[in-house]
Amino acid sequence: MTKESLDRLISIALSKGGDYADLFFEYSISNVLALRDNEVNAIASNIDYGVGIRVLKGDQTGYAYSESTIWDDMEKAALSAARIADEIAPCTSFNHKIETVRFTNRYPVISDWSDYSVDNKKLYLQEINDSVFSLDSRITKVMARLSDSETKVLFYNSLGDYYCDCRPIASIVATCILSQNGVTDTASASMSFRMGSEFLTESLKKEIIKALSDNISHIFEARQPKGGEMAVVMGAGGSGILLHEAIGHAFEADFIRKWTSIFSDKLGQQICSKYINVVDDATITANRGALNVDDEGVVGQKTYMVKDGVLHSFLHDRISAKYFGVSPTGNGRRESFRFNPIPRMRATYMENGNCSEDDIIKSIKKGIFVDNFTNGQVQIGAGDFTFFVKSGFLIENGRLTAPIKDINIIGNGPEALADIVAVADNCKIDNGTWTCGKDQYCYVSCGMPSVLVKSLTVGGGN
Amino acid sequence: MKTDTSIAAAALQIALESGAQNARISISRGVENSVIVINNKIDRLLQSTDNALYIQLYIDGRYGSFSTNMMDVDLLRKFITKAARSTVLLAEDECRVLPDKELYYRGNGEDLLQYDSTIESIPTEQRIEDAMRASGEIFGTDKRLLLVEAEYGDMLDYNYTIDSQGFEGSTLQSSYTISADCTVRGRGDRRSEGWWYESSLFYDKLKIEGCSTIALRRSVDSLSPKTLKSGKYNMVIENTVSSKMVAPIISALTGSAIQQGNSFLLNTIGKKIFSDKLTLLDRPHLKGYAGSRYFDSEGLSTKEMNIITKGVVNTYFIDTYFSKKLNIPTTIESPSVLLFSKEKIIDGKNLSLSAIIKDVDKGILVTGFNGGNFNSSTGDYSFGVQGFYFEKGNIVHPVSEMNITGNLISLWNNLLYIGDDARDCAKWQIPSLAFENVDFSGM
Repeated sequence: MTKESLDRLISIALSKGGDYADLFFEYSISNVLALRDNEVNAIASNIDYGVGIRVLKGDQTGYAYSESTIWDDMEKAALSAARIADEIAPCTSFNHKIETVRFTNRYPVISDWSDYSVDNKKLYLQEINDSVFSLDSRITKVMARLSDSETKVLFYNSLGDYYCDCRPIASIVATCILSQNGVTDTASASMSFRMGSEFLTESLKKEIIKALSDNISHIFEARQPKGGEMAVVMGAGGSGILLHEAIGHAFEADFIRKWTSIFSDKLGQQICSKYINVVDDATITANRGALNVDDEGVVGQKTYMVKDGVLHSFLHDRISAKYFGVSPTGNGRRESFRFNPIPRMRATYMENGNCSEDDIIKSIKKGIFVDNFTNGQVQIGAGDFTFFVKSGFLIENGRLTAPIKDINIIGNGPEALADIVAVADNCKIDNGTWTCGKDQYCYVSCGMPSVLVKSLTVGGGN
Repeated sequence: MKTDTSIAAAALQIALESGAQNARISISRGVENSVIVINNKIDRLLQSTDNALYIQLYIDGRYGSFSTNMMDVDLLRKFITKAARSTVLLAEDECRVLPDKELYYRGNGEDLLQYDSTIESIPTEQRIEDAMRASGEIFGTDKRLLLVEAEYGDMLDYNYTIDSQGFEGSTLQSSYTISADCTVRGRGDRRSEGWWYESSLFYDKLKIEGCSTIALRRSVDSLSPKTLKSGKYNMVIENTVSSKMVAPIISALTGSAIQQGNSFLLNTIGKKIFSDKLTLLDRPHLKGYAGSRYFDSEGLSTKEMNIITKGVVNTYFIDTYFSKKLNIPTTIESPSVLLFSKEKIIDGKNLSLSAIIKDVDKGILVTGFNGGNFNSSTGDYSFGVQGFYFEKGNIVHPVSEMNITGNLISLWNNLLYIGDDARDCAKWQIPSLAFENVDFSGM
């Protein structure tokens, strides 16, 4: 694409009076290799290509895309998007000076995936298979899956902002099925980073085997506990799902702009303990949620959502930032060129407090400890959120006792945040395959030091 | 819809020239339009056309699946040649074969009423008018209403498949949807949300009127919810969300779960696992239903199946691969139009939601799920729920922040009633359901 053709496309997009337009060209190639029944016996690849064209008129959006860069197809898409501004605009040609968006590369690739052979990937999966089987004689099946992809982006908008980015992502998931006395159960572990083939290290292998080993250690002894309201200690790492579901989504400023979030009028107010700081961060090197530049040309950054217990900032895209008269926070993201960008999280975590995890557990007479999760959900307006606990322990008289599993926990965002009464000093980012689905999928991550939530509703029997 | 299928034939030829003994090629093309209106003002206009080519290669007992939206023959040749080179590096898997040709759909089925040509000529102005109508129906009618988001959408979906054994089949489906989401201000900062949607394969059957009124009523009815004490309650699940408790059963009956041994329904064929009241059927050739079809993605002919009869499991969902793996006959990869037996359970009464609530007398009506999951190996589940507490057959107050927890086999053995109110617009025809003695956790 030449600058002239980019300008011409922007001119068409603005031809009906739009205030702003952007072009998002994307080329992605992804590969999956899968192991089942001791053999690497399935492979899949996908190549996807296209351009998304967005036009804004105030806070209204026109969006269309083309799966080809044949001029007529792109022109048709630009005209479709232009219709959001249904005016007869003066015929002007767009020719803005290009401003290249400058950024620090948060995911430098050392070794391209394209140079890494299928044979080497096979070997890696096979070694994982063998290591998992050697963990426990009760394991009957192992499944493993290695995914890698690279997405090339070219962005240009009517402000003249221009950037190119190359976004890698690699993931590995290992699952095993165990059988004991006629009872079966399943455990899983995953790791994901924005990396090239240097992702596949010995230490990664050890880490995923260790995670799987932890997850199966009490699998047959674990039970669904007695349910009800109780104290919950959320262990370091994946407990960041609490932040993602309890407050993260409700801080996304499209909900604030529409006045539908329970936090809509809380900006600047004390919403939790002054020792709590919550961050949404695009700048962690190689992290699954890292982003050099967001999908509307705003440089990736670290955004304090809660600072010293005060609601410090919502997560903005260009539309909400303009609406509220603030700077965008680099949260305008999209699944692919097929989607218009909307405010989304990146890596969301809580900064360290000053307690120790041991002290927190010792302070609980009766409650549960949880640190392994699968999925969560939130209702933005009511603030009710949930997350599913794959495994954890009962806490009785300050000690971890019986293992528990497969329970849903439910709470209310503002109440749960205010109910965090202790924060440990062991913050850990969880590097599993976290994917957020808010109409469209985005890679994210989360993290947390161990915290004590005074009261949440825990699923279980009676 | 005019779609050039010659690219599929070209891709098949390239696949065979690249060393594949067999191959399957599918083309999918989707055209989608939507208009979103917020508080009577257009928020988004979206238009899209998607193309995808799926290539499945069977080379020397090895298997690879590949896809792209690049339809240029020269680029495809490079892509498929490289794909074939990668596929031969895999371990051999003798179960990776195309289906038995005798099982293919051979055409000549009656029209399943899946396509309405109106979709090809709806002007954008009409789409905007429909979305505005839905929003305008309630905007400004209730002071508590903070937001009404109404969306009109239509989609045209075309699929074409050929394989090297001579199978050729195509499907064309149109669909039209109107939906409304309402947010009303509740107690304190809390908002209450309500939604509704209507969908149809035919434009003139789309019920636009009333959609947002129902959404508003649902949001207002849910204001000021309470959390009940933990305990065992009767549970009625509304037809809008009842498929949540059926999906784990279907998932546990798939070939993949059975072969890997992570199914709580492993080794249950011919055994009575569930309540006598549960008879679950697949009727793939019902006309005008969104899930109806004559063949699956392998080209296998669909047929009527009684999945579960009076609690006895009759069949798994077995595609060609898992048929070979498990050495059992092929059935079909997944159900098409699921429905329950029409057997009446409450003598002399209809089985509407209100009739069921009256008969159950006291319990919790679940109208929405909030997260949760189930363990496919054990059948244990735990889901967040919201809805209404009812006594003497009447709604008393809304309920939120509660979980239901238990085991799916126990749950389905506590089945009280199966309604007759499945929504026509749903792919799976799952009506309202009632169960007794369900563990709810709350205060």
